[in-house]
Amino acid sequence: MLFQDILLTLDRFWSDRGCVLAPPHDGEVGAGTFYPTTFLRALGPTPWRVAGIAPSRRPTDGRYGDNPYRFQYFSQYQVVLKPSPADVQAVYLDSLAALGIRAEAHDVRFVEDNWESPTLGAWGLGWEVWMDGMEITQFTYFQQVGGQDCAPVSVELTYGLERIAMYLQGVEHAFDIETAPGVRLGDLRRDAEVQHSRYNFEASDPAVQRDLFDTYEAEARRLVADGLVHPGYDFVLKASHAFNLLDARGALSHTERQAYVQRIRRLAETSAAAYLADAAGDGEAA
Amino acid sequence: MATLLFEIGTEELPAWYVTQGREALAELAAERFAAARLDVGSIDAYATPRRLALLVHDLADASERRIERRRGPAAAVAFDDDGAPSAAAVGFARGQGVAPEALQVEETDRGTYVFAEVATGGTPAQEVLPELLAGLVRDLPAPRKMRWGEVETPFVRPVAWLTARLDDAVVPVEVAGRRAEGGTYGHRVHAPGPVALEAPEAYVEALRGAYVLADPAERRDRTRDAVAAAAEAEGLHPAWTEALLDEVVDLVEWPVAILGRFDARYLALPDVVLEAVMIHHQRFVPLAGTDGALADAFVGVSNTDPVDVDVVRRGYEAVLDGRLYDARFFWDADRANTLAHHAWGLSGIAFQRDLGTIADKVARVGVGVGRLMERVGAPDDVRRTVEAAGPLLRADAATEMVGELPELEGEMGRAYAREEGLGDAVAQALLDGVRPTTPGGTLPEGEAGALLAAADRADTLLGFFALGKRPSGSADPFALRRAAGALARIAAARAWEVPLRDLVAAAAAAYADGPVEVGDEVVDAVTAFVWERVAQLLAAEGADVLAVRAATADGPPVIDAARRAHLLVALEGSEAFAALRATYKRAANLAEGAAEGVAADPARFETPEAERLYAALAPARDGVAALLAEARAQMPAWSLGAGPERAPTPGAGVEAVTALKAPLDAFLDGVLVMVDDPALRANRLALLREVRDVLRALGAIEELGG
Repeated sequence: MLFQDILLTLDRFWSDRGCVLAPPHDGEVGAGTFYPTTFLRALGPTPWRVAGIAPSRRPTDGRYGDNPYRFQYFSQYQVVLKPSPADVQAVYLDSLAALGIRAEAHDVRFVEDNWESPTLGAWGLGWEVWMDGMEITQFTYFQQVGGQDCAPVSVELTYGLERIAMYLQGVEHAFDIETAPGVRLGDLRRDAEVQHSRYNFEASDPAVQRDLFDTYEAEARRLVADGLVHPGYDFVLKASHAFNLLDARGALSHTERQAYVQRIRRLAETSAAAYLADAAGDGEAA
Repeated sequence: MATLLFEIGTEELPAWYVTQGREALAELAAERFAAARLDVGSIDAYATPRRLALLVHDLADASERRIERRRGPAAAVAFDDDGAPSAAAVGFARGQGVAPEALQVEETDRGTYVFAEVATGGTPAQEVLPELLAGLVRDLPAPRKMRWGEVETPFVRPVAWLTARLDDAVVPVEVAGRRAEGGTYGHRVHAPGPVALEAPEAYVEALRGAYVLADPAERRDRTRDAVAAAAEAEGLHPAWTEALLDEVVDLVEWPVAILGRFDARYLALPDVVLEAVMIHHQRFVPLAGTDGALADAFVGVSNTDPVDVDVVRRGYEAVLDGRLYDARFFWDADRANTLAHHAWGLSGIAFQRDLGTIADKVARVGVGVGRLMERVGAPDDVRRTVEAAGPLLRADAATEMVGELPELEGEMGRAYAREEGLGDAVAQALLDGVRPTTPGGTLPEGEAGALLAAADRADTLLGFFALGKRPSGSADPFALRRAAGALARIAAARAWEVPLRDLVAAAAAAYADGPVEVGDEVVDAVTAFVWERVAQLLAAEGADVLAVRAATADGPPVIDAARRAHLLVALEGSEAFAALRATYKRAANLAEGAAEGVAADPARFETPEAERLYAALAPARDGVAALLAEARAQMPAWSLGAGPERAPTPGAGVEAVTALKAPLDAFLDGVLVMVDDPALRANRLALLREVRDVLRALGAIEELGG
């Protein structure tokens, strides 16, 4: 199955189950959880179902393209269902079957994994889904997001698309995944992966990133305080990415790192509170 | 009498909760049945990752009937002038469900009152159970619960179904968004539909037919056998750890063993790395050959019996290969630098706010261990090892391997030290220095590492206590109880003949230049805190709490306290000793009035009782010394908490000691101690003090009971 057919299959599958197919967020984010369509929409009482590819960047995970599994740029497939349906595990297994991964042919296991994002003030309980010992999905029931209790509770399914594709295509490196006929993922990403790895680890200027962080942080605060939650939250994401770059560069001592994490967390919590207040005032959560 | 089946079907529970939850459910159910006065015969408890279940045998048909007398208003206000029940009495009777005429008048200590006799119980089990069983779901203890969907009742993981059967009847339990059914559900993949039950007793058998082994003992046996068989087919055997077996058993409902291989070149990695990758990351069972060395093979335990085993095997092998590839990468990258170089990295890792970085801590430990070596009298070779290893302690925490596999801290220090050619003694000290890593964990093997580990724990305790961060109640966020337990265990196992407080004070020297002030009161507080751990560890060995108090009261070396505690427990078995102890208390109380340091003068006793008592002292002193020497010989140093290999058997010394009783009784009964003549009084008190001191070598035996 081509990489883009995997995407199409999952899009079809979740669209058929009532999900909005949302486009990827148009900025750097560390994971699908940071997407406004996840982070903000998990707040408050309004039901919500969303699915779609969620390209993500984790500068510290770059390996110059050498490691077959680890990249600073990778694709998650992100599904959020609110409230979490009672049969969500079975539906998830159906989605694997749609990709040709039949549970009776594999050892598919739900292994405890308690997820926490200190920067987002978010945590949840759930599992890593293992297929034959390989983690292919994170499965999380959000308990808190942005420091707010979730009611109702959303469930987040995060598929590791490259891993699933490598398995389905029987290739040993993510760059060997065939994305369209005759086109490999490496053709699209290799140069960027190598260059970004160099940038993240060697070339980024910590002084610049520190300044950017401060600027983004101030801008996020100002906008959220003015009731511009969505633009403000965009700056929270930018600040978070600046922090990730500083972290990858090894520019932060342990205590300094903790302090940055707390600063982002405060921004995320402020955004969440403002979003909820806004939603309550407007009578709708958008 | 009936049989009840109650099953809480769940989405996958954490493996560590399966056993804990099963036990907690059985315990809670027993409590609730007792509170509801519903008699039960026995309760069997079952659990898998997807269910917690109880099979209750011989459940009473109704709650026990009982007549209760309940007190109402005072008689004075319960009747009007004509003797008819007042409004107060009528209201009380109505509240208790009895007729006003049935009220009885009775005098009590606190006055005369009316009483109602109320029959309670007799409620049919069918009526009691719905609420009782719902309560089990609501109140099952768990360290952390979650919510899901719009369900208000938190549980460990979402509740997927409930099964509640009382013989043939479904018990209508409703809780956590589910309504109980009469049947259960089988294996998620192999038997996903409902599984009908002919009767509650058919539960385990019916599930076995649906690819679920609900009985944990059966699942454990099946898992162990299947893994052993898969290994033997290749001439290998499983290198299980008990913890791995526990976890694997609670990760599956239907264990299927699948053997896989990995590239033999990864065998160049240290065994601890291979095991960490296989066990901690994949829950694979490492396999060993007949020579005990790890082989290039493993067994994974699948939860499904796959259509084609090769598909799963290839998957297992591919994922393990990726992990070993990474480990190999870290191994090579880390070895490109020396441990001394890695140690620089510790200055970037915080230990604790106000206590500096790990590098600061390691430097303090270096100072503290120096003092400790003086106290303990470490021989030169140990001293040299400590001096070489000290600056490298925890250096491996800054390596990539430990960054990825934190459980290998210490192990990698040893492995890299060996690779670097630092010698086995230094390498071992780097591993020993972080031991024990768990409350009952392996203790340091060598003296050098033990000294480092002890100095490290003492440093931690002193620092946090100086910051005022001592644990309170159940909250111990910095694991200080564990650190104190480790210090106690190390001191005992090394048989350090140094009073505990002196060990702690030695480490305190490292704080002379800050970063916090560690004064005598902090040293005292830490010492007392460690004694609490000693007491708890000895209690776990079965030593009576009073014996422990007696053995530790004078602040001895930990090993002496431990030996004396067991010796006192053994002595308490002797009637003669218990009898002596009673007399001793009188003597010790009187001796409180004696001046310190004044010896009794045998020339000036003026009574034969005093002379006889004095004559008995020397043999008793020898007897006590003999008892202590025996205890030392019979109880070589052991791991505190696990108990000495055997309890001491006090020998002839007991008689020499208990022979004190007769002359002591005669003295106390026949001689007036507090005479007017000050010199005579002082001499008699001095004699009693000597008696006390002889016995005090066994501990503060006045603390003992009886």
